[in-house]
This record gives sequence, C-alpha cells and structure tokens, in this order.
Amino acid sequence: MSGIARRRRLGLIALETVMVIAALLYIYPIFLMFINSLKPFGEVVSDVIALPKAVTLQNYVDVVDRMRYFQLFSNNVIITAIGVTGIVALASLAAYVLERRRTRYAKLAYLVIITPMLIPFQTFMITLLKVMTVAHLSGSTWGLGIQYWGFGVPMAVFIYFNFMNTIPRELDESALMDGATTFRCFRSIIFPMLKTITTTVVVLDVMWIWNDFLLPLLMVNGRPETKTLVLSAYTFVGQFNTQWHYAMTAMVLTVLPSIVIFVALQRNIVQGVVAGAIKG
Amino acid sequence: MAGGEVNAVKSSRDRIETVAYTLPCLALVVLTIYLPFALSGYYSLTKWNGIARDPVFIGLGNFAALLHGDGSFVRALVFTGEYAALSMVALNVGALAIAVALAKELKSRNVLRSLFFVPYILSMTIVGFIWQFIFSKGFEDLYRVTGLAFLKLSWLGDVRIVFYSVVLVGVWQAVGFYVVLYIAGLQSIPTEILEAAVVDGANGPTKFFRVTLPMLSSSIVTCVLLSMINSLKVFDTILALTKGGPAGSTYSATLEIYREAFQNNNYGLGSAKSLVFFLIVLTLTVFVLRAFRGRENAR
Repeated sequence: MSGIARRRRLGLIALETVMVIAALLYIYPIFLMFINSLKPFGEVVSDVIALPKAVTLQNYVDVVDRMRYFQLFSNNVIITAIGVTGIVALASLAAYVLERRRTRYAKLAYLVIITPMLIPFQTFMITLLKVMTVAHLSGSTWGLGIQYWGFGVPMAVFIYFNFMNTIPRELDESALMDGATTFRCFRSIIFPMLKTITTTVVVLDVMWIWNDFLLPLLMVNGRPETKTLVLSAYTFVGQFNTQWHYAMTAMVLTVLPSIVIFVALQRNIVQGVVAGAIKG
Repeated sequence: MAGGEVNAVKSSRDRIETVAYTLPCLALVVLTIYLPFALSGYYSLTKWNGIARDPVFIGLGNFAALLHGDGSFVRALVFTGEYAALSMVALNVGALAIAVALAKELKSRNVLRSLFFVPYILSMTIVGFIWQFIFSKGFEDLYRVTGLAFLKLSWLGDVRIVFYSVVLVGVWQAVGFYVVLYIAGLQSIPTEILEAAVVDGANGPTKFFRVTLPMLSSSIVTCVLLSMINSLKVFDTILALTKGGPAGSTYSATLEIYREAFQNNNYGLGSAKSLVFFLIVLTLTVFVLRAFRGRENAR
C-alpha cells in the first residue's frame, strides 16, 4: 500500500513541476513587457530577454506626461462609475418587480429586456453611432457611461432575475403589509440581500467597461479630453511602434489598474466570473 | 366593499409601479439596441455613404453585391469560421487539461490558477500588442539564445502561418476563463462517484472518459457555446496584432464590417454584412444548443 501511496505522491510532484513550468512560460510574455518597460531604448533594441542592467523609471515619467495618463485614468473612472452604478440600480429594481409580479406585461418586458444578449454588438454598431449622435450621447464621457446602461442591463437583469427566485416572497410581502412602499421595501430589504450577486454584476461590468475598446473607439475618439485608457494606448502604441520602450511602458500603464484590482479582489473576481458565465 | 376598493386601488398602483420601474431599462434597451438594429435592417436595403442626407433605396442590391462582389466578405466569413473552429477546440481541450491538473491536490494550485487567469483580465487590445512585440522582437532574441527553429518563422508576415499566430493569441488570452469554469464543474462532481468507479476497477483514462466527462456535460455546453460566440466576434486582438494583414488574410467578419462602414464609408453595404453575420451567429448558436440537447435526450 505504501508503494502505491509513494508512487502517487511522486506523480503529483512531477505534475506540479510540469504545471509550474507551464504557468511560468504562459505568463512570460507579460513578464517581458514589464522588464522592457524598465529599460532605456538602447537596451530594448539590443536584447529583449535580458533583465534591465539598471532599473530606470524614466520611461514612466515620459509616457505619463505624453499620454496625459491621469486625464485618461480619470476618464476611465468616470465612465466605469457611471456605467456600473446605472446598470446595478436600474437592473436590480427592474428584475425585482419583474420577478415578483408575473403579469403578462412583466413577462413580455422581461423577454424584451434580455433578448439583446443574443445580438452581437458589431451587427448594429454602424447605425448606433448615428442614433447616439442624434441623442447627444456620443462624444462625451458621461454620454458613453449612459450608453453602457443599455448594453449592460440585459445580462444584469437576467442574473438578478434568477437570483431573486432564491429570496423568499414572505420577506417583502410582510413588509408591504406593514405599509412600506414597493420602492422602500426594495431598497431596505431586498437590495441588501442581493449583495453577493451585486458583487458578481459589478465585477463583470467593471472588467468589461474598463477594458472595452470598440464602443469608445466609435463614440469618444474625436477629442483627447474624452479618450479612454485603452483607446489612447491603441493610438500611442501605433505612433511609437518603433520606440518599443515607450510602447511597453504605455501598455504596462494601461493594464496596471486591472492587475492591481485583480490581485486585491482575486476571490471575488474568479467567483463572479464563474457565477456570471453559468447564469448567462 | 371597502376592501375591494382598496384592492383595486392597490392593483392599479401595482400596475403603474411595474411599468415605472421597468420603463428605464426598456427605454435604454430600445434606444441603444433595438432601434439601431432595426435601422441597420433598413439601411441594408439602401446605398448610403453616411454623409448624404438621403439613403437611396436599392432593394436587395447590397446582398447581391455580397455574393458577386470582390469576395472580401466571403473570405472574412471563411476566416472567421476557421478561426472559431480551431479556437473552440484548442480552448476547450486546453482548458480541460489544465483544469484537470489544477483540480488535483497540488501545493501551488491556487497560485497556478491565478497565473493562468491573468491574461483574461487584460485588455484584448493590449494583448494584441504584447504578442506583436513577442512575435517580432521577442522571438528574434529567443532564437539567438536557444537556436529553436520555430522561433525564426515569420509569425505575422507569412500568410500560411499568421492564421495560427492569431488563434494562438486568442487562446492565450481566454483559456484561463474556461479553466476556471471547468474547475468549478470538476469540483461539483461528487467524490463518491469517482471512488466508486475506482472500486469497480476503472483506470485513469476510463474513469476520465466514462465518468468525469459525462458528469461535466453542463460545463462543456456552457464553455463550447461561449467560446464559439466569443471567437466569432473576434475584433480587438486582431486589430492590434495584424490589422487584418498580411494581404488581408486575417480579416475577421467584424473587422470587415468595421472597414466597410467606417473606412470605405459604405454604410449600406456594411449594414447588409452585419445582418448576414448576425443570422450566421444566431443559426450556429441555435444549432449548437439543439445538438447538445439532442444528445442529452438520447442518453
């Protein structure tokens, strides 16, 4: 028996070794991006895979200035904050009444709201630009934030609706008996109970809006004051594609917020992604 | 009858509330999705450059042009189909293999799971740029050090190779997502069932194919479907990595729609292309769902 146990342990050690090597190879491209952002131009050109001879942050000083990084960063924060707040507020309230009141109107409204999950964005982006220009929602960060409400609501309503099933009706019914209004009941009883699923929705939508490229490209690419991080990085790397030290630095600066958030909220992010995919 | 009156008041208030609390969502969805979608149906029947005030109605002319035109759309569709097919296989087989390994009791499994997930949280545009750098500068220097012949290939310049480069990058970016889903599926399989299979004399591969895989069927449906839809919509990574080149060999359907509308200013033709693309994605989604449901019922 001990022979089998030992063989099993050796097998696990071998597997672990293979997986560690595989994982390191897997993230090696990201590592290369990082180390090359810390080298001066000459070193990047002569040897990409070598570690920096002396770490310099000069690239970062230059790129933060040339990209107008802080402006872009705050644009991203504004767009993401407006988008996510609106999606969570509107979708959770709508899902609540749709799930509790199973009238014919409610069933139809639910279908109309969630069906767009099946329509790829690229199939209507051409005319979307026209409609958004007429509606004065293109060309500004707040307008873009509001547009995300429309694109985020279908999946959010779907996720909230399914979760609402698990909250006993007696809870809100007794509150309504006591004379609370529907909205009050939602705000002080139901919404707090949606905390875990709200985390899922927030995680999914922050990751999506923060990194989105095509919609900002269509809507806010006109002026430098309204651009997003990824959008600016796209232009910047295009302009500096021979000056790799600047390109790498711009790329690191663009993904750094995502990586910091991931390291801090790893558990929530992984759980949220699983919940979102299985529900969606 | 006071009670009845109260109820009537309450139910009409309920009705107003239901409408009031769902109206914002409905209005937003109509404004950002249904209205543009319907308009693109209309514009697909017109010749319109986006600047002229009045689109000219030309019936099905655009759709005829798709078939008899320069063939760029058909080529983009074929590329997208091949890209999605290879990506689906690579993503699901790769993710399943990694997930099986990382579901075992390895000491470093939590760290390893995170490492495989990292590319998924990065912007796809930046992922395209990272690999553009790796394929050109990175491989050049790695070849100098290691002498491995495959590093010297023209990964982004050779029409026959670039297809695999693009798939590689797409798979690299997304595989961690499917690993996480498969691990969740594997963990939901009761250990008693696996132990019973071992007691019944099932060896490693038999256990995997006869017990584990069937128990994973709902995860497999989710992953196959999501990987198909996401691969069909590929845009950002290719734009950053190859811009559709070399010689237009990596134009995906969505990139082609974008080019037709916003670079060639053929909004009508672009709308026709997007409509065809929508129908293809919808048909394939329904087809895959049916295929899986058929198998579920057969068992």
